[in-house]
Amino acid sequence: MNDEQLLRYSRHILLDQIGIEGQTRLLEARALVIGAGGLGSPAALYLAAAGIGTIVLCDGDTVDLTNLQRQILHHTPSVGRPKVESGRDTLHLINPDVDVIALQSRLDGERLDAEVAAATVVLDCCDNFATRHAVNRACVRRAKPLVSGAAIRFDGQISVFDRRRADGPCYHCLFPEGEDVEEVRCAVMGVFAPLTGIVGTMQAAEALKLVAGIGETLNGRLLLFDALSADWRSIQLARDPACPVCGPA
Amino acid sequence: MPRILFTQQLRRFTVTPEVDTPATTLQGALDAAFAANPQLRGYVLDEQGHVRRHVSIFIDGRRLRDRACLAEPLGAESEIYVMQALTGG
Ligand SMILES: [Zn+2]
Repeated sequence: MNDEQLLRYSRHILLDQIGIEGQTRLLEARALVIGAGGLGSPAALYLAAAGIGTIVLCDGDTVDLTNLQRQILHHTPSVGRPKVESGRDTLHLINPDVDVIALQSRLDGERLDAEVAAATVVLDCCDNFATRHAVNRACVRRAKPLVSGAAIRFDGQISVFDRRRADGPCYHCLFPEGEDVEEVRCAVMGVFAPLTGIVGTMQAAEALKLVAGIGETLNGRLLLFDALSADWRSIQLARDPACPVCGPA
Repeated sequence: MPRILFTQQLRRFTVTPEVDTPATTLQGALDAAFAANPQLRGYVLDEQGHVRRHVSIFIDGRRLRDRACLAEPLGAESEIYVMQALTGG
């Protein structure tokens, strides 16, 4: 770390749990952020500010006026631009040292697998179940920790699926593919602006903890947040021994 | 005593009581909750009395695998959580 970095990250370095060693881990890490919308915005902003070395941002969409109510990575002049380009510009304003790789597509197949394999940590900030399951499968295959967040209306869900711990469940253990049929979208249902900030910021916190190797993550727990009643709840999760994704082949 | 809880999302539509019940099976615990609010039944079960597809029930962190099997036994301190997967980002 050079002098400017020591200064920039000094408030992290002051923390016993992070210090120079932890900050160095963050600088060497590569985070894959799937979705540059309501959750991906605050998540990527904090990862960049905190000094994650490489952020791979992927999203196939362009910025729409209706996104600006909550997707704080994008600004009014960016309407019509690809989200990943607008996002990269904002992240560089906050921290020009971060290497932002902008992938303007919905990742799947081999490309998704390769990006997951290259990542230190994966953040699922997407808006559909098909992608959530594809990302989960790739993370299980590559034994990469997955930080999953969802937000709709006033309700949020956050969890960590870290298959490096043998007893940890995967996303499919929790919500089997095909049973999560009722896809509710923000475009139809609406979403409370700061809810996406709260959930996305929690995802950034869990990702930074995973990279730095500190604290207790949400692995094996699902955190539920009700913004209307300001109520948090946490439920313990168990692995499904018969899970077709993470169970014995 | 086993306890049954419902996701906050359901609160938008109906009252979701937290019920402590001496029930020894999932069916018994659900019945106790439906007794407290009969409207809940339609949100959780379909016409055949099976758990609706988008509803997930966790008993002590374990997901109920068989939507038709409500005879699932409960422990003395079991916690049942009735919820739904969310997406949206
Ligand atoms: Zn699994």
